[in-house]
Amino acid sequence: MVQFLFLVIAALGLLTALGTVLARNLVHAALFLVAFFFTIACQFVLLEAEFLAALQVLVYIGAVAIILMFGIMLTRNIQGDDTTIVSAAWKIPALAAGLFVFGILVFGINNAVAPAGHSPWSESNMRPSIATDAGSSKATAVRREAVNNMARTVGNELMTRYVVGFEVAGLLLTVALVGAIALAHREEAEPDARSRGEQPARRASASPQPQAAGPSLVSSGTSPPR
Amino acid sequence: MDPNLSNVDFRDFWQLAPATVLSVWGLVVLLADLALAGRMSAPARRRAIGWLTLAGVALALLAAAGLIQVQQLAKAETQGTPGWLSPSLAEYFSRAGGAIFLGTLSADLQTGVLNVLFIIMLGLVVWQSMAWSFTEDWGEYFALVTWATVGMMLLAASEELVTLFLTLETMTICLYLTTAFEKTRRRSAEGGLKYFVYGSVSSALFLFGLSLLYGLTGTTQFESIREVLASTGPAARGLSGNVTGATALLLMLVGFGFKIAAVPFHQWAPDAYEGAPAPVTAWIATGSKLASFVALMKVFLHALQPWSHPSNELLGPGWLGVIAIVSAVTMTYGNFAALVQRNFKRMLAYSSIANAGYMLVGVAAASVSTRGAEAAGSVLFYLVVYAFANIGAFAVAAWLVRDKKTDDIDDLNGLGMQSPLLAICILVLMLSLIGIPPFAGFFGKLYMFMEAINQQHAKAWPTLMGLVALGLMNSVVSAFYYVRVLKAMFLREPGGSRRLGLAGGSIEIPIVIGTLVAIFFGIYPGRLMSVMQGAAVSMLTTTTSTSGGFASMISAPSGTGYAPLPPAMASAPASPKSTRLDPEQAKKYADRMKKAEAQAKALASPGAQPKNAPPGEAKDALAKKAEAQQEDQ
Amino acid sequence: MASDIPLNWFLYFAAASFSIGLVGVLVRRNAIAVLMAIEIMLNAANVNLVAFWRYRNAPPGAGPLPGVILALFVITVAAAEVAVGIGMILLCYRRWRAADVDRYDSMSG
Repeated sequence: MVQFLFLVIAALGLLTALGTVLARNLVHAALFLVAFFFTIACQFVLLEAEFLAALQVLVYIGAVAIILMFGIMLTRNIQGDDTTIVSAAWKIPALAAGLFVFGILVFGINNAVAPAGHSPWSESNMRPSIATDAGSSKATAVRREAVNNMARTVGNELMTRYVVGFEVAGLLLTVALVGAIALAHREEAEPDARSRGEQPARRASASPQPQAAGPSLVSSGTSPPR
Repeated sequence: MDPNLSNVDFRDFWQLAPATVLSVWGLVVLLADLALAGRMSAPARRRAIGWLTLAGVALALLAAAGLIQVQQLAKAETQGTPGWLSPSLAEYFSRAGGAIFLGTLSADLQTGVLNVLFIIMLGLVVWQSMAWSFTEDWGEYFALVTWATVGMMLLAASEELVTLFLTLETMTICLYLTTAFEKTRRRSAEGGLKYFVYGSVSSALFLFGLSLLYGLTGTTQFESIREVLASTGPAARGLSGNVTGATALLLMLVGFGFKIAAVPFHQWAPDAYEGAPAPVTAWIATGSKLASFVALMKVFLHALQPWSHPSNELLGPGWLGVIAIVSAVTMTYGNFAALVQRNFKRMLAYSSIANAGYMLVGVAAASVSTRGAEAAGSVLFYLVVYAFANIGAFAVAAWLVRDKKTDDIDDLNGLGMQSPLLAICILVLMLSLIGIPPFAGFFGKLYMFMEAINQQHAKAWPTLMGLVALGLMNSVVSAFYYVRVLKAMFLREPGGSRRLGLAGGSIEIPIVIGTLVAIFFGIYPGRLMSVMQGAAVSMLTTTTSTSGGFASMISAPSGTGYAPLPPAMASAPASPKSTRLDPEQAKKYADRMKKAEAQAKALASPGAQPKNAPPGEAKDALAKKAEAQQEDQ
Repeated sequence: MASDIPLNWFLYFAAASFSIGLVGVLVRRNAIAVLMAIEIMLNAANVNLVAFWRYRNAPPGAGPLPGVILALFVITVAAAEVAVGIGMILLCYRRWRAADVDRYDSMSG
């Protein structure tokens, strides 16, 4: 039963991933991506990491996908013109590279060499049990606590062992916030009093190329190499 | 209290004092900029915020140096603690060293030295940024540069894959953003986006490799990974017998290859270097390269060392062959591509690619080596020398952009007549980058190539020999493009409508400091070399806890335990114990270390220089520290 | 459970998604589409990490759930990366009026 469920979810996941990659229309691609994120959340549930599944839904679907949508809308590139996918001549080697990587990975997974005292991956057909009667070894107890009480265990880990990682993650998010705003806000929009002094002259001479690239430049495709 | 709670000593946060100071200072800078934004013009704000950032850098430097001092004091005075230190802290510092935060980070000689270096380089970069107004968001800019440094410092200190991945991302995301900060130019945005796209693809590949490695070993800590890999049979150790291992390793190599700009993964580098504002380029070329190389060496020479597996064949089934090929291609391609460049920054980009190739020779040497730490130390030495020379070179680029709006090599025409002193400094920088004898760059290459030649490992010797020969040939090739710069400066008349103005302090000082470093460590390379070797020893060792207790992991002094797998282990699986500290090995190691130093001094004295640097030099404290470390053994 | 899911199935799924994402990175020219393909690759790695955490016994000293913690941090990094990426793509879009990576060619060599 569980196996069947997994197969269905995996098939859906791969189909949506393919859809994301191949859809010409970027909005469709983004919707496929949302579905893909959701199947990943389902995989996490199958792996008994419900806490992570919840986070996956909240962060990926709730935030990442929305930002991507905003990006698509703001660049107004929703019409799948032929610029979104490269020419067929380049598609074949790309597909070959993907198949090659996949082949290597599958071969490797089947033949993975396990460290001493462990069974190889291809023989791990059962997950280690966490039932209370499965033995009272400390490792089992730790794992049971981790699975049944994941939010609590994660919290403990983040506050002790990975406390530096936690702080760095906070710094990283601050960086993303500060940097993305600084980059994306357009200074042309605001009548900027403080930069009127020397900026315009410098700006005019600073760039060897026209500031606002008109449609002509885009349609001509290439600008002369510097 | 929860019995499952792992037991962290929160005094460990003191060890992160420099990083903490810098992170907080980033916020201070941001807020100060916000307060000043309405009242000052952009250039005035640039100066004000720049000085404020420099104050923070000085504070962080104070913290880093103070940390080292306190550790020295607490370790030296076993009977009585200094009065101003609370007893618990004194007790903590007297035994501190090695892994902190349950083995996720290290705090030892290596992190101390690297922290000081990162902060000094950050100071130069910030100073250089004050030269001209390439952006208006000064608070954001300086904050991001500072936070990138936090990422670098923690990346160089990380002892475990989770922290490594996070800090690597923090560092590079800051750099992506600052690359695109020059909003008035198209090429800045373009360079930033290319850097971002290539960089995030590479980190996705890196992460997948990392997940496979985690699956193979079940752990994320370098020391445990090493133990697990060493405990598997010899058949699993080479890459040919272990496809998953090979895939994981190659994917991780792709990730690192992007960060250090090694050749199949270098495409972002020229565009990002040319597009970014010159100070940011300097920071990408030096700080991020130094940090990434330290992380690369930690992962490959420490965690994955059992897989390096040099064997009978010329290249061997281990990763040594892969590194050797990447290194050869990288230096050759980088040098020949640099020959045809007209843009100064682009030329430096290709030269930085070529330099990554040279450094990979050192990494390859360290992997087979019976003297792994010395070889890794020579890589660190080269990195430091290269970094200071490059910060100076990019200050020249900043000068060109500020006054001429372009940064082609031809813009340097006639500089020799216009400001002869700075031109001579640039001459020294270029000669050091080529590797002409009296300057530090020469000794960097010399030590690295000597380490490669001196390997006792007969099987890997032809490979290393070939790499060294190729490296020497490439150095000759590199002379041509550096000489083009000199030719422009000294032999051509100044042309063009715009002339270079007075350099000003923010450009002079990085150039002059780069020059002084190149000269000083050219004359006294032995000191820096021994510091770097000491740092490399602690870089390649950790005493991590496997039992979970904190006390167990800091009982042994750091800096002795690194021993590459003994040859016997290649044939028989040995117990993980043999990679642990054992006094016999440590003593042998210390002897080797002393001999190496004697050799280094002999090497350094062809010009009949005094054997010891004059006392009172700034770097002396560091050197003394390294010696103290060695005497501990 | 008599018929548990073998570990390999999860790994095959992750490998397949990873390869699809890789093809996407190579095939797409639109920067946002490339970003989406990168997200697929990151998610594939996350499935790997969590599967390994659940199925393998960790050696002592690494904590109860290193794989889950790493996956958690990957989610964080991905969120930051997307925000930064969209910011940069918008910046470039304003310069070129195009979001295709190969349109940006003011530098060459």
